[in-house]
Amino acid sequence: GKAAKPKPAFTDEAVQTLLYRMTGLDLHKVFRPVKKDLKPPNYKLMTEAQLEEATRKAIEEAKAKLIMPPVLNEREPIDDVLAEDKVLEGTETVKYVFTDLSYSIPHRERFIVVREPSGVLRKATWEERDRMIQIFFPKEGRRVIPPTLFKDENLGTVFQQDRHEDVLNMCIAQFEPDSPDYIRVHHRTYEDIEKHAKYDLLRSTRHFGGMVWYLVNRKKTDGLLIDMINRDLLEDATSLITLYHMLHPECQSAKEAKEGKLQGVDLIKVFVKTESQREGYIQLALQAYEEAMATSSAS
Amino acid sequence: SPYQDRPWEYLESEEYRATYGDNPVWHGYHRNHKGSVPPQRTRKACLRRGRHVGNPCPICRDRNLLVDFRNVKLLDQFICPHSGVIFHPIHTGICMKQHKRLSQAIAQAQDHGLLWLQVPFVPVPDEDFSNQHAAVGKTPPAPALKGPGRAWYPWYEWQQPPATEVARMRRLYRGFLEENYPDTPPS
Repeated sequence: GKAAKPKPAFTDEAVQTLLYRMTGLDLHKVFRPVKKDLKPPNYKLMTEAQLEEATRKAIEEAKAKLIMPPVLNEREPIDDVLAEDKVLEGTETVKYVFTDLSYSIPHRERFIVVREPSGVLRKATWEERDRMIQIFFPKEGRRVIPPTLFKDENLGTVFQQDRHEDVLNMCIAQFEPDSPDYIRVHHRTYEDIEKHAKYDLLRSTRHFGGMVWYLVNRKKTDGLLIDMINRDLLEDATSLITLYHMLHPECQSAKEAKEGKLQGVDLIKVFVKTESQREGYIQLALQAYEEAMATSSAS
Repeated sequence: SPYQDRPWEYLESEEYRATYGDNPVWHGYHRNHKGSVPPQRTRKACLRRGRHVGNPCPICRDRNLLVDFRNVKLLDQFICPHSGVIFHPIHTGICMKQHKRLSQAIAQAQDHGLLWLQVPFVPVPDEDFSNQHAAVGKTPPAPALKGPGRAWYPWYEWQQPPATEVARMRRLYRGFLEENYPDTPPS
């Protein structure tokens, strides 16, 4: 048969454009007022041209804020032993951590080794590495010991307050993108959003792309599709289905779409018939949308 | 106090409603000081050596109000709703000891996720995540570690000393060695 194409990755151009289009760009949400120290307000008088220039700059700043964080596999644990010196056994009662503090090397190339009391010289584990690097080269927003809210019991309380975006921002500040804690917190958040259908919380943030990637890989796109149709975002719905077909090219609706070269509502209908679990709800939502379109075009 | 284990229940009780109504706990409290400008620090503590002072602060005067990281409603009353900053004790009137305990409780509540916390925007890190460098990737183990029988340094295992050294030692201790003292130790 034909050689299988490699599965599209998160960083592919096509995937990124689709995810970026789905995220949307609501300037009022990206630059919404935040609680900070009070200052008197600042008023400016501008002409139309200046206003357009200011909006254009704002859009560029928003695009910088919407760069998606990387989605990586979990990192492999480090357990290499460099030396075993039985002569040193019994001389010390504590472990010694030796960190290379040269300023200009990237943190991922920094050598950090641990001498155990038994005389074994081994490379430090990932958790020890992160702690040591945070102690000697502190980063803003990151604590040496991670906050307790990243534990599974406390994540529930935060989700009840609808603060998913805050949790994800804190997670990016605290953990490395390939650490197991980062991946666990992200997956928990996405599961909670999908369970309660709170997709709108992450729209126009940099986390929306990651969430869509997670859902499409696990074929849980029904709730998101219903949400998009209810908010009249048909282009986003079609982009979602195109992404689904890119990632799962062997499914029924992908083949039908490729043969018929379907667009728009037809694509959604084919997808609904073959792939979705909640057919009834999506059909209802589509019906409501079409009625709304009919009444708006009639009036 | 009856609300020792569940301090948040007091803030929903009839008693609290009747005492404070909709106002925060520190509303209407007046410090007693000379002149129009109050001292820029409130008193150190309302309870010293088991005795209460006169005109205790809003938290110390009500024995059911317990400063705990779980009763978020009480902690919220001491945080500015606009800027998210803890009020200065001059503004609320609480003593310095309670202010310290309150700040610690607010930090703990933010840590557990019960209170809102300002999250700084950290841009996405732009580094190489492939983990190929020797510092974080796999290094092949040294030849000495590959087998269980191999020792790290050659002198960890017993080595036969040169014959001249053996002869020298024998001549030195010849009065004390047994007749059939062996050259190699029994394995």
